[in-house]
Amino acid sequence: MTTRKAGEPPAAKASPSAAATPVASGRLRGQLASVQGRRLRNGLLALCALLVLALLPTIYDQIFGFSADFELHRVTFIGILIIAALAQNILTGYAAQPSLGNAAFFGVSAYILAWLNTDLNQPYWLGILVAMLVSALLGFVVGAPALRLSGVYLAIVTLGLVLVAGALLNVWDTAAGRQSYELNNLPVALTDDHVLYFMVFAIVVVIIFLSYHLLRSRVGRAWVAIRDNEVAAEAFGVPVARYKLLAFVVSATLTGLAGALYATWATTASSSMSSADQTIAFLAMIVVGGLGSISGSVLGAIFVGLLPLLLGQLPDPFSIGPFQLQISSLITLIYGLLLLLALIFFPTGLRSLGDYAKTAVQSLAQRGDKR
Amino acid sequence: MQALLQVILAGLVTGSLYGLLALGITLVYRTTGVLNFAYGAIGAVCACFMYILLSQARLNFWLALLITLLCAPLLGVVLERGFARPVLNAPIFTKAIATLALALVLQALAQQLWPQLNSALHFPTPFEGHAARVGGVYISLVDVIILVITLLIMVGLNLFLTRSRLGIAMRATADGLSAARMVGIPVGLIFLFVWALSAFIAALAGILLASLQSLIDIQFMDSILLFAFVGAVLGGLDSLPGALIGGILIGFIDNLLAFLLANHALGTLNIGDPGIREALIFSGFVLILFLRPQGLFGKTLARRV
Amino acid sequence: MTASILTPLLEIRGLTVRFGGLQAVANLDLSVTEGQIFALVGPNGAGKTTVLNCISGFVRPVGGTITFAGVSLLPLSTDRRVALGIARTFQQLQLFSTMTVLENLLVAQHAQLKAGLLQGMLPFGQARLEDKRARIKAQATLAQLGLEDYAGRVVATLPFGIQKLVGVARALVLRPRLLLLDEPAAGVPHSEVEKLAENLRRWRDEIGTTLLLIEHNMHLIQAVADHVCVLNYGSKLAEGPARMVLTNQAVLEAYLGRDTQIGEE
Repeated sequence: MTTRKAGEPPAAKASPSAAATPVASGRLRGQLASVQGRRLRNGLLALCALLVLALLPTIYDQIFGFSADFELHRVTFIGILIIAALAQNILTGYAAQPSLGNAAFFGVSAYILAWLNTDLNQPYWLGILVAMLVSALLGFVVGAPALRLSGVYLAIVTLGLVLVAGALLNVWDTAAGRQSYELNNLPVALTDDHVLYFMVFAIVVVIIFLSYHLLRSRVGRAWVAIRDNEVAAEAFGVPVARYKLLAFVVSATLTGLAGALYATWATTASSSMSSADQTIAFLAMIVVGGLGSISGSVLGAIFVGLLPLLLGQLPDPFSIGPFQLQISSLITLIYGLLLLLALIFFPTGLRSLGDYAKTAVQSLAQRGDKR
Repeated sequence: MQALLQVILAGLVTGSLYGLLALGITLVYRTTGVLNFAYGAIGAVCACFMYILLSQARLNFWLALLITLLCAPLLGVVLERGFARPVLNAPIFTKAIATLALALVLQALAQQLWPQLNSALHFPTPFEGHAARVGGVYISLVDVIILVITLLIMVGLNLFLTRSRLGIAMRATADGLSAARMVGIPVGLIFLFVWALSAFIAALAGILLASLQSLIDIQFMDSILLFAFVGAVLGGLDSLPGALIGGILIGFIDNLLAFLLANHALGTLNIGDPGIREALIFSGFVLILFLRPQGLFGKTLARRV
Repeated sequence: MTASILTPLLEIRGLTVRFGGLQAVANLDLSVTEGQIFALVGPNGAGKTTVLNCISGFVRPVGGTITFAGVSLLPLSTDRRVALGIARTFQQLQLFSTMTVLENLLVAQHAQLKAGLLQGMLPFGQARLEDKRARIKAQATLAQLGLEDYAGRVVATLPFGIQKLVGVARALVLRPRLLLLDEPAAGVPHSEVEKLAENLRRWRDEIGTTLLLIEHNMHLIQAVADHVCVLNYGSKLAEGPARMVLTNQAVLEAYLGRDTQIGEE
């Protein structure tokens, strides 16, 4: 009875208590080596990325001069989208809460900044801070009851929240006699494209750095555990409700930050920031880029940020034979279609192609072992 | 007193529209598990199609109506095959996003095809200008039509679901998909039919709304979609009469609030603003949902470990 | 930890569970002594998994008490019971399928670690130290079960037998005082049952954990159980040392409805 059957772990070489330690520590060393190798590679990649980011503005000016469409301004926008995508990913991709409500925090936060900065004449940094705090609080207020709702109801209530928040912001605008909220009291430095770019990307880098570690820490593991198997997570000590709430608050705070930065970038806050369209944009980023990964969030943000830009290069109206296409709604159309296609064919995002490849290779290797 | 009766009438009328939409939403959700956020867009596209028939093809109203009501189920079938079928087995969240994306695509498509409908245009019907005063209450022909049609649909649907084979098969599918399959119910056909029927109802609701408002544009159904969903959820998302009642209830409350809050102001803030009403109704809805997560008419779900 | 017949580790008194109109467990009394391998058996639907779920905290009984090492379990939520030293496996495995084997064992130690949001964001400090220690513990447990080669593999890609072992490893990494095993022999081929019994005894001896297992496989029970309790329709039918209980006429009838000799195949 000594032939090893397929799928079995290698039989213990000697009596368990004696041999376990030396065998284990040998493997431990091997694993540690590759972990260090991986860390080195990641560190180098990060350094390269930072370098590219730092040099981008100068490269940009060389290539595009002061071309109206491919301004640096546009790249800054992508940075803001990255923060929002990360926020949505933490809530939906990691902790797996089907919440459609982030756009509400996006819009409200922008309005808070506008109010503090323009009307109450407070310093900009204070405005950002308060906007983030309000978002965190709102995240708590929305998240706590949200725990009691399941899938379908959560989706409906959070979407409703976005629509209602948008409507209320609109009411505020109407009462104040304006179309949208202008931020005309911003610090002068921030009106410069380059300064804004560096500020936004400095924030993006810090946030990615912190998120990367958080998602690999006990907290991140707990979120993924909740996503994979809530019952088991609870059985092994994860206070599920508390961590779901934490995801809500973290996501809301980050989205609030994105909203405030967006208002700074656009120098306006409008009620359409809290709308179904904005929700689709947020979801598109993580769906197309990949649920549950940081790089997925970045890819998705680039996709959503660049697509209108690329399509905007086409002449408007665009003629194909006898048909005249309106570019502005064409962008939305293609956007929606791509999102639909991505959802149908890649339910776990484009980034999952990499994961599929990895697991496929692993399975192949395993089959090879058996023979 | 008169004013109250007027409010009740208005509540019944708009409530019927919310109810019809809630009905369609619940129908699709119960049978196929898809929460259709694109429902308003479907109705809007059909109503806009009819407008184009009226304004560009210059068709007779009734002919245009007939054509639209025949094409609506066709749209439903196309959507079922091209959209609902592929996402059927996706997690709830993906399905929800997909329907949002679908709404976007439908609206953008409509904007491409009929750019003139980006702004509100007049929707011509033969019912305009016909109104009567009954016991001091002002009631228009469109109001009557809406009420009558809603009643017909209520009765008709009930008969259909309880008496006809197809209707019973539909209910069976809604109650248990695999069980339905096992007794030989052609589930694929049922899905097709459900989408076709719900598209029909959406188109009807859209046309009725356009007739009521006398105005139409591509996004004219966006504002009532939230209320339709609220009505559907209050109805428990698994009860058709519940959806209708839920919708009518919301219609009542909406009109009542409009009546009570009209022309009141807090400083420059006009409390009668529809945005405020929306917020109030939504808050009330959320509150109810916490006290009764299954809605007013739904059944409780147990958790299995 | 020495086994002591005088101090029950787990004490269940008068446990009653109802699901709607169905009475799943009726006034059950159960005592598990520290160091025992205690088997809970009975036909399907007898209420065994329900009892386990009550101990874990997924099911609320309508009556009765559950005391663990002198602490009453019922007021505690599920996630708080782990800290007392109760771990379990699931019949349906319930692993964290997108995570690696190692990560599964790290999550299991959640309650034993402390780092929160702020500490987790930093690449150094308390969080990293804790995680390192947790990683070492996990790898030691994997080695004990012969799973070290699978540490970096995503759980969903592994064959059923390995996944089952991972489930056990996940529970054992906590060095629990009480390990609840839900049908450990399910899906295990006949020839491996003896080895499983050996492993169960080894874990009990090396880690000092008390085992409470639900099982259908009579061979395993005969091979490993110190004490057996038979449930039928939610009530205790028989209790005592394995050999005695398993040849009890009433027990055989409850299971099989006919005369059967066990242990003589």
